[in-house]
Amino acid sequence: MSTPAGFGLPGLECLWIKTAPMTYPKKVSRRHFLRLAATATAVGPFFTFPNRTLAGQKTLKIAKWAHFLPSYDAWFESVLAPAWGKQHDIRVVVDHIPAEQIGGRAMAEVAARKGHDLFMFPWPPAEFQQHAVDHTEIYQSVAANFGSIPLIAYKSTFNLKTKKHFAFADSWVPSPLHYDEDCWSEANMPLGPLHYGSLRSGGQRVRAKLGIPCGLALTSTLEGNITLHTILYAFRGEILDQDGNVAITKNAFTVNALKYVKALNQDAGTPEQLTWGPSGNVRAMLSGKVSCTSNAISLLRAAEKENPALAKKIRLQPPLLGSAGVTAFPHATNCSVVWNFAQNQDGAKQFLADLIDKSKAVYENSKGCNFPVYQKTVPDLIVRLENDPYADPPYKYKELKDALHWTPNLGAPGFASPVWMEVFNTFLIPRMFLSVVKGELSAEDAARAAEAEVKRIAGKWKDA
Amino acid sequence: MLGALLQLTCGAPALPQTTPVVNPPPCDFNDNFYNANGINVTNLDLQVAGRFGNFRQTGPPASSFNGGTNNWVADSTCSVTDPTRRNFRILATTGGYVDDGTGSPTDFISILAFLTNQNDFTGVANARNIQMVDIVGNFEAYAALKQRLPNGTFARNPCGTMASPDAPTTPCFPVTSVATPSLRQDWRFATNRNAIDGSDGNLVNGTGKGVTIVNNSPFGYFCDDLLGMWVITYFWFTVDPANPNPNPTQQCGSILAALGQKNGFNLDGTPIIKTADELNNQLEANHCGAEGQEDVGGADGGAVWLVCPAIPDPRQGGIAPDAFPDVVFKPDGTPLDPAIINNFRCLQTTGQFCN
Repeated sequence: MSTPAGFGLPGLECLWIKTAPMTYPKKVSRRHFLRLAATATAVGPFFTFPNRTLAGQKTLKIAKWAHFLPSYDAWFESVLAPAWGKQHDIRVVVDHIPAEQIGGRAMAEVAARKGHDLFMFPWPPAEFQQHAVDHTEIYQSVAANFGSIPLIAYKSTFNLKTKKHFAFADSWVPSPLHYDEDCWSEANMPLGPLHYGSLRSGGQRVRAKLGIPCGLALTSTLEGNITLHTILYAFRGEILDQDGNVAITKNAFTVNALKYVKALNQDAGTPEQLTWGPSGNVRAMLSGKVSCTSNAISLLRAAEKENPALAKKIRLQPPLLGSAGVTAFPHATNCSVVWNFAQNQDGAKQFLADLIDKSKAVYENSKGCNFPVYQKTVPDLIVRLENDPYADPPYKYKELKDALHWTPNLGAPGFASPVWMEVFNTFLIPRMFLSVVKGELSAEDAARAAEAEVKRIAGKWKDA
Repeated sequence: MLGALLQLTCGAPALPQTTPVVNPPPCDFNDNFYNANGINVTNLDLQVAGRFGNFRQTGPPASSFNGGTNNWVADSTCSVTDPTRRNFRILATTGGYVDDGTGSPTDFISILAFLTNQNDFTGVANARNIQMVDIVGNFEAYAALKQRLPNGTFARNPCGTMASPDAPTTPCFPVTSVATPSLRQDWRFATNRNAIDGSDGNLVNGTGKGVTIVNNSPFGYFCDDLLGMWVITYFWFTVDPANPNPNPTQQCGSILAALGQKNGFNLDGTPIIKTADELNNQLEANHCGAEGQEDVGGADGGAVWLVCPAIPDPRQGGIAPDAFPDVVFKPDGTPLDPAIINNFRCLQTTGQFCN
């Protein structure tokens, strides 16, 4: 049973579970949560909703991925949604779904053609585009106040063939490198490793001196998915080229990336990396078992809350320099879909348009995790990053100032296509890397096997 | 010239100039300016950094081949012309290829100093409150060290931490010096990176369905990198030109031959590489070449970064009459790529690039 990406050991005491619409979430124990979740799974994939209308009042049903910071979801459900509902005389129901389950839940809804009106994914839901309304009008309505669509949103939600926006992106979560300053000072790298070569050589020295390995996420989890797609891209590897052609074995880059990660794990990593579940890298970093990892800043926020002494030592740096430059995929891209079978499409569209007005509150309540797609909505973002109220030192987060510059959309170098996103959501890339790191396949064979799978997926979507 | 335009629009220091000089020749920065941009001046003044004005007045790159004797001279006009500079004017003018895809031999820079580990950065942020160590990763200077060892052996990997898995780690070629005599070919510089006008291919704006796309606000070499610093990306051949296809599936022989026919051959007998496409999509994509950066903790013993500002516009005075070209020469004293030195001479004598 997957669990939400909770933070803080054991971290699960902060999980929320939806018990009734428009009520405050209850805190539940891990055991209680698992029992309830198991029951829900056994009963079926669908949520049970109350009557759609009460005394004629409309309902807006929202499914959203469970945020890395549970406090954000609590705010979303208990403050943001009710306030909007009151303003529009609409009853809002919010269900939080663990990121690992969001794809499955969405598939179940489209199969049944019923469920929520609005489905919020932590990545571009390109595979679901035939079940989505065209979201262009939402972007257009927002443009009047906040300007034209930013590139990361455009390439995350636009289908070049249909000329439609299959989703609406309002925020995204950068994924910087987190490193323990004390550890890396032992490698004469107090400013962090900066590039992939030094991650390996410096990480080797840190492990040799302190016994603390480097802790990038390498398994089939959201963290591993983002980390390994980032490494592949930083080494110039591509799943699909700019034109959407399968390119994973087109050149040596994928093999180079595979060999690098294998060497990194051998020289500077730990066998435990190969077994981590969701947030395994986060828990390892928060318990001081690893010297670095790549993640959303929710990691550092959790440290600030639970272990200020450790948080003080954890520093951020922009992504590592690879042969393709300084780059890292977003840890999450908040992309919302209004289903074309939604009963309250107008309400869902209005909610999304109005969500942009709340970008500043989204940023604040996510404790800086969620960067606004529309930069004008948080015009003092840089000032905030330079003087963060929770950080010690307060300027720690300024490393994120140019995050938009180093963050490509999932799907890069092209758009987020159904093929690319199915590859992403089936964890093909982490599986490819793991097979090499574990010694099950050579780098060349793993790349070829992955290519075959990508081609199969591409064939499935050739008309999309 | 784009570079000059950018310098004027966004890179110009806010300090007042008493005497307007349109296009002055290069001088070293003063200590205050290094400090303001996060560089440890104490370390910069150590011999290993080789700061012009303190060290390397004679010797490489000055040589009998290029006619240079002093790499720099005292010049009291430097700080008057530009208050961020100190009074040492640079004569050694390093030429190279611009990284805009054309490989044109039009970039000219001044290698003021070498930085060998992170202790050379103070952590002080610049005017945009960004640390230099973060900015500099966006700007790469591509160094091509000699791979042929004194005994004639061709080493397919560098010594130290950068070795590629595509080749054996021994024998290896040294990476402790990027002085011109250690180079097999001339440099390539990414002065075009992240140009705010989109001239690097970066999408600044465009159109979607009924909307305009606006990109982010990227770094610009002439806007943000006020010291003109670079991270050095070393690149090398992972195959011996005498045996370019060590396994039957490799196509390196034909790739090297084609590149050599197009660009000529360097001092090692491998082709000259002028563009990113040649390095990335022809060599590296086919297991024929590799690239990397030195250990930022200093474990490799050589330069990780350069303080090496490009001359924004080398025309109309940017190349002083007493400057000399720092380029790679063949053993017989002729330049490896005459196009670079020809441009230098044209600029120096006419103020314009050669036709």
